[in-house]
Amino acid sequence: MARVRQSPIIAWDSAPAPDAAAQQYALPLAQTGHAPTPTSVTAAKARRLWFCIYLPNLPLEACGPGDKALAVIEEQQGVHRVLLAGEHARAAGVLPGQSPNAALALLPTLRLEERSVIREQQVLELLATWLEQFSSFVSIAGPDVLLLEIAGSLRLFDGLQSLRQQIAAGLEAQGFAASLAIAPTPLAATWLARGRRRACIREPANVMAALRKLPLHCLDWPPAATESLRGMGVTNIGDCLRLPREGFARRFGVKRLLQLDRALGRLPDPRNSWRAPERFCADFEMTEEQNDRELLLAICRELLLAHEKFLLARQLGTQRLLFTFFHLKAKATSLPLGGAQANRAADHWFGLLRLRFEQLNLPEPVIAIRLRGGSTQALHTESGRLAFHGKAPREQYYSMTQLAEQLAARIGNESVHGVTAVADHRPQYAWSARDLFATKAADVLIRIRYGLKRPLWMLPEPALLAMHDGHPLHQGKLRFVEGPERLETGWWDEDGIARDYYTAMNPAGVGLWVFRNRNYRRDGQRDSEAAWYLHGIFG
Amino acid sequence: MENPRVWRGRSQPRGSEGLSSGYEQLDRHLPGGGWPQEALTEILIGQYGIGELQLLMPALASLCVEDSDADHIEPGWIAWVAPPFQPYPPALQKWGINLSRLLIVRPRNDSEVLWSAEQALSSGTCAAVLLWPPALDDQASRRLQLAAEKGRSWAVAFRPLTARSEPSAAALRIELSAGSRGTRLSILKSRGGSPAVLHDVV
Repeated sequence: MARVRQSPIIAWDSAPAPDAAAQQYALPLAQTGHAPTPTSVTAAKARRLWFCIYLPNLPLEACGPGDKALAVIEEQQGVHRVLLAGEHARAAGVLPGQSPNAALALLPTLRLEERSVIREQQVLELLATWLEQFSSFVSIAGPDVLLLEIAGSLRLFDGLQSLRQQIAAGLEAQGFAASLAIAPTPLAATWLARGRRRACIREPANVMAALRKLPLHCLDWPPAATESLRGMGVTNIGDCLRLPREGFARRFGVKRLLQLDRALGRLPDPRNSWRAPERFCADFEMTEEQNDRELLLAICRELLLAHEKFLLARQLGTQRLLFTFFHLKAKATSLPLGGAQANRAADHWFGLLRLRFEQLNLPEPVIAIRLRGGSTQALHTESGRLAFHGKAPREQYYSMTQLAEQLAARIGNESVHGVTAVADHRPQYAWSARDLFATKAADVLIRIRYGLKRPLWMLPEPALLAMHDGHPLHQGKLRFVEGPERLETGWWDEDGIARDYYTAMNPAGVGLWVFRNRNYRRDGQRDSEAAWYLHGIFG
Repeated sequence: MENPRVWRGRSQPRGSEGLSSGYEQLDRHLPGGGWPQEALTEILIGQYGIGELQLLMPALASLCVEDSDADHIEPGWIAWVAPPFQPYPPALQKWGINLSRLLIVRPRNDSEVLWSAEQALSSGTCAAVLLWPPALDDQASRRLQLAAEKGRSWAVAFRPLTARSEPSAAALRIELSAGSRGTRLSILKSRGGSPAVLHDVV
C-alpha cells in the first residue's frame, strides 16, 4: 500500500513505458506489467481533482423553475417527440418518446415547450458564473456538463465533503437535479457523473477500478460505435480496455482511444477555463405588450439590481448604461445613461433613469427591455481616516491621478499638466511643465528662494509694445516703478539673453514686467529706438 | 430677538468658517472672516493683471501648505482651468504656493472649461479650483456651486465686468477695479454679509 501511495500513477495494471507517443497505439489498452507513463502525466506535479456536474434534465430546467406539468419536445427525424417530462407529467404517465398528442391526452393541462439549445447554453453559462465562487477554474465541457477543478479550493471550503455539499445544496436551491462525481481526470469525472455513480475518487490509482464497470452509454459516443461494441460483447469500459489498442484505433478511431487514455490519466487533458463576460447584458421579455410606465420602471429596476449583483461580484463599476425598449411594430427606443463616476449601485442608476424616463417618448407599447452595461472599471475605495484634531479631511471621491486621467481622457493628454520650478536665471527657462502621470520627480521638491520680484502671469512669448515718442505704450503711457534688473547670458545652450527688465504700471493700474534688449547697439539703433517687450503681468 | 425662528439678515450661513484672505481689511467685511469655503466666488475684472491673483495668493498658499502635525492628511490641489496666461512658478513659489500641488488644465473649447471645473470641484481632491470661463450662465454657476459643495472645494471664477448684471448662484461676488493707489474692491453680493467698497486692498 505504501508503494502505491509513493507512485500512484504506476499502480494500475498497465504496459511498459514507450518513449514515443506514436508507439502507444500499438499497446494493448490494458496489460499487466509496468506503467506506460507518458512522462507528461507523471510530470504534472500539482495533482488535480475534477468536480463534474452533469445536468440530465437541463432542457426541462432551462424552461424555468416551478412548473411541474411541463414537457419539452424535440423534433427527431421530422416528428416531434417528448424529450423530457416534468414531475407531474411523469406521474400522469407522460414518457420520453411519446408524441405530443399522446402526452396531451394523458394530461390535458400539460404545457409543451420546444427545446431551445441556446436557452440551455445561457443557463449553463449562468451556472458557470455562479460556480466561479467555488473554483478559479470552471469549464463548460459539453451541452450539459460543467467541470470544476477543486484541488485548490479544498482547504478554503473546509474539505471535499463540505465543498460537495455546498455545491449540491446550491444547485438544488436553484432547481437543478444534478449528478455529481469527483475524479482526478476530467473525463473520468464526466463519465462517472453520466453513469450516475456518486463517485468520489481522489487517488489516480483508483480511477481504473471505478471506470471498469461503467456502461458504454456513459461515454457519450455515437450510437453506431456503441452498438458495434455491444455486438462484439463489449458492454462496459473495462471490456473496452481489454481490446488490442491498434485494432481498437482502426475500428473506432484514434480519437476514442485517446479519450480512454485521457480518462485514465495516461495523457494530459487540458481544458479551457470559462470566463464570465466583463460586460453585463440582460433582457426582460414580457408575455404581452405593456404601456404602464410604472411597471416598465419596476422592470428596469429589476434589471439594475441584477446588474449591480453582476458588478459586485467583480468589484467593478461602470460609467455608462444603455436601456433598449423593444416594440412589436416600431423601431426600438434606446435610453443611454451616463455618470461622471463609475458606479454600480442600482439606486444610483435608478435615480438617473427615473429622471430620463419621464422625458422619454415611447412610440409604442413595450414588449421587451434590454439592459447593456458599459465598459467596466475598478471602483476606487478609500480606507477611512482617523481625524483626532483639526478639520475633518475632505472626502475624496477619487484620487488626483483618477481626476487627471478623466480630464486627459476628454480634453487630451497635453492639456493637463503640473508645473515645477527650474533653477535658471532666464525667466523663460525658470519653470517647466510636469507630467502628472509620471512618478514623483525629485525636481518638484526644488525650493528656490526668490528674493526678486516676479510676475504671477507670464506671457507665452514676449509681446512687442507699441512706441510713441521713444516711450513704450500699453493702454497708454507706461510709468516705470522699478528697474532695471539686468539678466544676461545663457551661452551654454545658445539661447542667451541680454535684457533690462523693468516693473511698470499702465494707466489702468496694471503692473507689467517689460524689458528691452541690451544688444541693440549692434544694429546701429539709437538708445531711444530700442524695442520694448511685455513679458509678464503682475496680476 | 433670540428666538431662533426669527430670521436676522446678517446671520451667518450654517456656521461655516471662512478661509482667511490674508488681507485684514477684506476679512473684516466677509462673513465668517474670510473667503466662503465650499462655495463659488466670482471675481469680476475689467482686465487681467489688476491684482486678482495677488488677492487670492495668501489664501491659496494656506490651502496647500503641508501640515507637519497632520501628515496623514494630504494637502489639497489647486486647479487652474483655462488660465489666460501662464501662471509663473517662481512667482507662485515666492507667494508660498506648493508647486507640486498645482494642476493646470487647458481645455480646447468652452463647454470643456465648465466640465473640467465641475470634475475638479466634485472630485474632492482639489482644495481650490480657479477658472476663467468664457461665459457662465445662471444654470452653470449653480452647477459649479453644487460641485463645490459636493467636493468641499473652493471655486473661484474670473469674469468680465459685463457679467455684473447677469444672475449668478455665487456665494460671493467681488468687483475689482483700479483705484488711485491700489486696487479698489467692491463686494457686490455676499451670502450672509453686506455689500461694501474697499479701497487699496492689494
